[in-house]
Amino acid sequence: MSLAPTNESELAEIVAATSEPLRIYGGATKRLLGQTCHGVELTTSGMSGVVTYEPSALTLIVKAGTKLAEIEQLLDENGQRLAFEPIDYCRLLGSLGEATIGGVVACNLSGPRRIQVGACRDFLLGVRFVAGHGKLIKSGGRVMKNVTGLDLTKLMAGSYGTLGVVTEVALKVMPRPETVADIVLHDLSDGDAIRALSQALGSPFGVSGAAHVPNRKLTPLRVEGTEASVKYRLAKLADLLAPMGKAEIRLDASKVSADWRDIRDAGEFAERSGNVWRISVRPSVGPELVEILRRQLPESTALYDWGGGMIWLLVPETQTAQDTVIRQGIANLGGGHATLVRANENARSTVAVFQPMSAGIAKISAGLRRRFDPREIFNRGIMN
Amino acid sequence: MLMPVADDRILARKDEIVRLLRRAVLDGVVIADPAETKAYECDAYTAYTCAPLAVVLPNTTQEVAAVLRVCHEQGVPVVPRGSGTSLTGGALPTADSVVVGMSRMARVLETDIGNRFIRVEAGCTNLSVSKFVEQAGFFYAPDPSSQIACAIGGNIATNAGGAHCLKYGVTSNNLLGVTFVSIEGEILEFGGPFLDAGGLDLLGIICGSEGQLGIVTEATLRILPSPENARPVLFGFETSAQAGACVSDIIRSGTLPVAIEFMDRLVIRATDDFAKANYPDTEALLIVEVEGSIEEIEAQLAIIVAIATSHGAVSVRQSRSAADSANIWKGRKSAFGAMGRLGDYICLDGVIPVSQLSLVLQRITELAATYDLKVGNVFHAGDGNLHPLILFDENLPGQLEKAEALGAEILRLCVDVGGCLTGEHGVGVEKRDLMPLQFSVADLDVQMSVKEVFDPAWRLNPAKVFPLAASADRQVLQ
Amino acid sequence: MKTIFTDDQRLDPKIRDSEKIIRTCVHCGFCTATCPTYQVLGDELDSPRGRIYLIREMLQNNRSPDAKTVKHIDRCLSCLSCVTTCPSGVDYKQLIDHAREHIELTYRRPLADRTLRAVLAYVLQRPALLRWAIRAAWVARPLRRAIPKKLRSMVDFAPHSLPAASQRDLPQVVPAVGEKKFRVALLTGCVQKVLDTAINDATISLLTRHGCDVVVAKGAGCCGALSLHLGRSSESRKAAEKNVEAWFAEIDGRGLDAIVVNTSGCGTVIKDYGLIFRDTELAAKALRVAKITKDVTEFASQLDLSVAANSNIRVAYHSACSLQHGQQVRHEPVDLLAKAGFVVVEPNNAHLCCGSAGTYNLLQPEISGELRRRKVATLEAVTPQIIAAGNIGCMMQIAAGTKVPVIHTVELLDWVTGGKRPEKLRGFAIELPE
Repeated sequence: MSLAPTNESELAEIVAATSEPLRIYGGATKRLLGQTCHGVELTTSGMSGVVTYEPSALTLIVKAGTKLAEIEQLLDENGQRLAFEPIDYCRLLGSLGEATIGGVVACNLSGPRRIQVGACRDFLLGVRFVAGHGKLIKSGGRVMKNVTGLDLTKLMAGSYGTLGVVTEVALKVMPRPETVADIVLHDLSDGDAIRALSQALGSPFGVSGAAHVPNRKLTPLRVEGTEASVKYRLAKLADLLAPMGKAEIRLDASKVSADWRDIRDAGEFAERSGNVWRISVRPSVGPELVEILRRQLPESTALYDWGGGMIWLLVPETQTAQDTVIRQGIANLGGGHATLVRANENARSTVAVFQPMSAGIAKISAGLRRRFDPREIFNRGIMN
Repeated sequence: MLMPVADDRILARKDEIVRLLRRAVLDGVVIADPAETKAYECDAYTAYTCAPLAVVLPNTTQEVAAVLRVCHEQGVPVVPRGSGTSLTGGALPTADSVVVGMSRMARVLETDIGNRFIRVEAGCTNLSVSKFVEQAGFFYAPDPSSQIACAIGGNIATNAGGAHCLKYGVTSNNLLGVTFVSIEGEILEFGGPFLDAGGLDLLGIICGSEGQLGIVTEATLRILPSPENARPVLFGFETSAQAGACVSDIIRSGTLPVAIEFMDRLVIRATDDFAKANYPDTEALLIVEVEGSIEEIEAQLAIIVAIATSHGAVSVRQSRSAADSANIWKGRKSAFGAMGRLGDYICLDGVIPVSQLSLVLQRITELAATYDLKVGNVFHAGDGNLHPLILFDENLPGQLEKAEALGAEILRLCVDVGGCLTGEHGVGVEKRDLMPLQFSVADLDVQMSVKEVFDPAWRLNPAKVFPLAASADRQVLQ
Repeated sequence: MKTIFTDDQRLDPKIRDSEKIIRTCVHCGFCTATCPTYQVLGDELDSPRGRIYLIREMLQNNRSPDAKTVKHIDRCLSCLSCVTTCPSGVDYKQLIDHAREHIELTYRRPLADRTLRAVLAYVLQRPALLRWAIRAAWVARPLRRAIPKKLRSMVDFAPHSLPAASQRDLPQVVPAVGEKKFRVALLTGCVQKVLDTAINDATISLLTRHGCDVVVAKGAGCCGALSLHLGRSSESRKAAEKNVEAWFAEIDGRGLDAIVVNTSGCGTVIKDYGLIFRDTELAAKALRVAKITKDVTEFASQLDLSVAANSNIRVAYHSACSLQHGQQVRHEPVDLLAKAGFVVVEPNNAHLCCGSAGTYNLLQPEISGELRRRKVATLEAVTPQIIAAGNIGCMMQIAAGTKVPVIHTVELLDWVTGGKRPEKLRGFAIELPE
């Protein structure tokens, strides 16, 4: 049985009264992310609905349990969208249920547009949450710029529920462009592909997605905007990338959108078994890292997003010490981080799911958790 | 403004502390002569002044760490300082504090065009970063008006914005990593030349922390490809309300310009004298900038001009050349300084929902009239970030207090309509005691507890951000 | 910025002016970004904003300043880059001149410093003496170790050779070649005509060949800039008075269309004569003189300079501070050089001073040397064949740090319009097209 408070004061009472750790979730779509974690189940899905939506101010305030799909539909009806394009983890993790905005915030989700516009944190204007002592706290607000006090809002994004239970979020929404199209390069080696993507991302032509799928030797680049603008920029990109061989321009918006959803969700790995890692490094070292990891972890497969800056890596479960190999490889190439996104329960309780931190940073992180959640009741152990 | 009483025990040990500081910095500068420390008694917020015990200008991160170790061991408060361009007293010293200035740390450490980042020391000016990557066709997006002089370290401390953040975001959206020195003198790395470091978003909390958590000595910044073309357009309006309503409609239309800036008549006149930007002689002015290919610019402008016309724009002037654009922006960016030609002023930084612009501008006019003070308005209209400039005469007794009281009322109004006290200048000392307008005791307690994780003894940048009353008990407890 | 002056203090018109200037400063700090000494030293006290603070304290306290205050004010180059940058319109030029005068009147410098300044002020304005002094420096050079450190820079900076005095620099009227269109006076100055006679010669050649009668007025001499920047305002005024009288006699007599100045450091001060002599009997005359004073490139812009063919010689233009900040003359020299067929390039950080700044390189050799190093690096980075500048001080300063020939703008203009090939190009394979 899950606890499902329907408003902030109910939630605050539960938190203040509990003597057990709480396992917090929204739509239960990302329960397999993070280290294994147990506790009394508490869902925020009972707190849902739009609080304020002002399209002319690009502002949306919703309760944390509001379903992401509902939000996306509402925005779509008003010609707007969440620009950070949060990944839908259901496919990769095989989870049922529907994602809530609270979960999106807690995991600081993003998608292929990360490189152009940012992640959830970059659009999060404010949050309300219940902290470990059972008090309701607000941070940020609803306006576009805000440096009033310390930015707890950023801290809450990506904290996996370990600092407090988010009850309400204010988001900056953006106009939805008229259309989307892409240009796809074929048959490039990883190295050439990443060079092509970097060149395109260094151009002024507004590339809003830059991926490389080694298995299918496809290297798509996405542009969005008005129809005339998209055509113009695709032509410019085609010129720029002409030395990379034949480029295919695709103008069918629904097909292009579907393919980019697939890239966003690492769809290629959804049906295949194995552990999935999410690796972030400086783009130019991506191919070299993958080359090394393929050698050291045979039968691994990579997908590149963010112009090569983010790598999805599928590794057979049987590869031992894969965390060490991956993290050593990253460290040798100038640093970055790796997160184990999909693995069985055993791996998730023995392997460090998140990139281990330096002692100094670990000390600060632990200190912050102690202040927000002195009794360690929120998603205990999920991040360490 | 109430400031904490200087610790006599520190003042008494000045010679000893200065000796230790001199040992901590090999080639750096230590300034301790009262004739010289006086020049460090304030930043661009001059209403309150206090010379520090000493000023240190280190040359390296290691020297910063050595200086902080001395201060930590000696129990001396530390005031970090970039270029001293804060409009809120962010670098206002206390008499028992050591100012750590970053001005000699202004080197570019690494430029990586392929991976679109640059790593610089915190004393680099904002504009110099863009200049450095300009030849390669890139720029650094946050562009506070003081960008010619303000330091990246200060930008990070205040999460600085600027005119173009409507499209490109503020500092926190363009900051990839920092090298940071804790109050204990430990050197820590947060983030790096890659996105989304794992773990808690500590970079996110450091950005905008106004020197409360530590000193940023180096920063890795995201750089972006420069647009093909950019064109500012000037729209003149007969009333501020018309201009305000126009902004809201431009945003609703789905065309998102790079910048939408507002100036009223008082500011237009002051700035045009300096910049020769040929602004229209109207009650209110909007500068709207759009980017892209010439065709894209024309298409966006067609929509925007139609909206402006429907709101009664009496003049429309597109920039004719790069030099013309430069002058248009020069005027806007020097507006605060140019207002100095008219007298002393306090510059506010409240933010409101864009939909409330007309209403709030009207209320500001009414409030100014009741206080019998002049208020000029120049601000980032696209994101509702107001900068009312309250004019007064600093040499006349009582005027500063009166101007501050009006400022507080305007900021209260911002909060009441759903906004906040500060969008990009920071709280500093200026708005420290207004924080309860926006935050509950519990909200502030959590923020202060975050500070204490980094700075348990409250040594860093004393008397800023948190109301003295709220922090007093905690400081005793710690 | 707030000020606290007593009514008694305000009886002094200079205090009144300075208070007004300080009150316009909003302490925004923009000036720090373009101040050369702040770029080198990184200390607020060595920036205009810090100096304004020091000056305010010094004037408010109304007593002899302390050594530290003097040190930081002395370090100011008076390049006036801050004046270009300042959005509030702070008249830093007037303020720093007042401060220097105040220091000179109330502060007793250490002996070596006093000697150096007195010698400089005396010798530099007297061409015959200067020639003699430079020869003396050649003799002293082997003995430099025996010379007090403060004075050593004088020996170090003395040029290695001297041209013979030019007859053209004597009072006379050089008539226009062909039809006369203008009658102009030329300031032949003091230091320049000792160190580099080619500049005045080229100026006279260019102007006369383009229809100007050129008057070297009797009685005109040093403009007073050197002593002004040493804080010796009464000496400076004496020199300036002579010029006002000499040129006004010409204006009043056969008339002048312009007073042409080819040393921009001097031009800046002469253009200020109106301000310097306001409230005196000379006010009206000085204002007339100031009003028709033009940098040679400003004046040459209205002449129709005809060039046979583009030379494609790559010229880096160094903008002297006195020209770009002091007189706000920026595009004229560049436009003229470009129209004259040169490929004109400008260095990065063109707004920063080269470190010459009158006697600054003699008084502050370390900072000056660092500024030269930086300036030469940015100039050489644009790979010029020739560096052009409009001020003798900058030319000497830059030439001491580079092998690229440094030539006055007017010499280049004279050359390509049919004048003499600059002597400074001897040994370089840089030629005009046939």
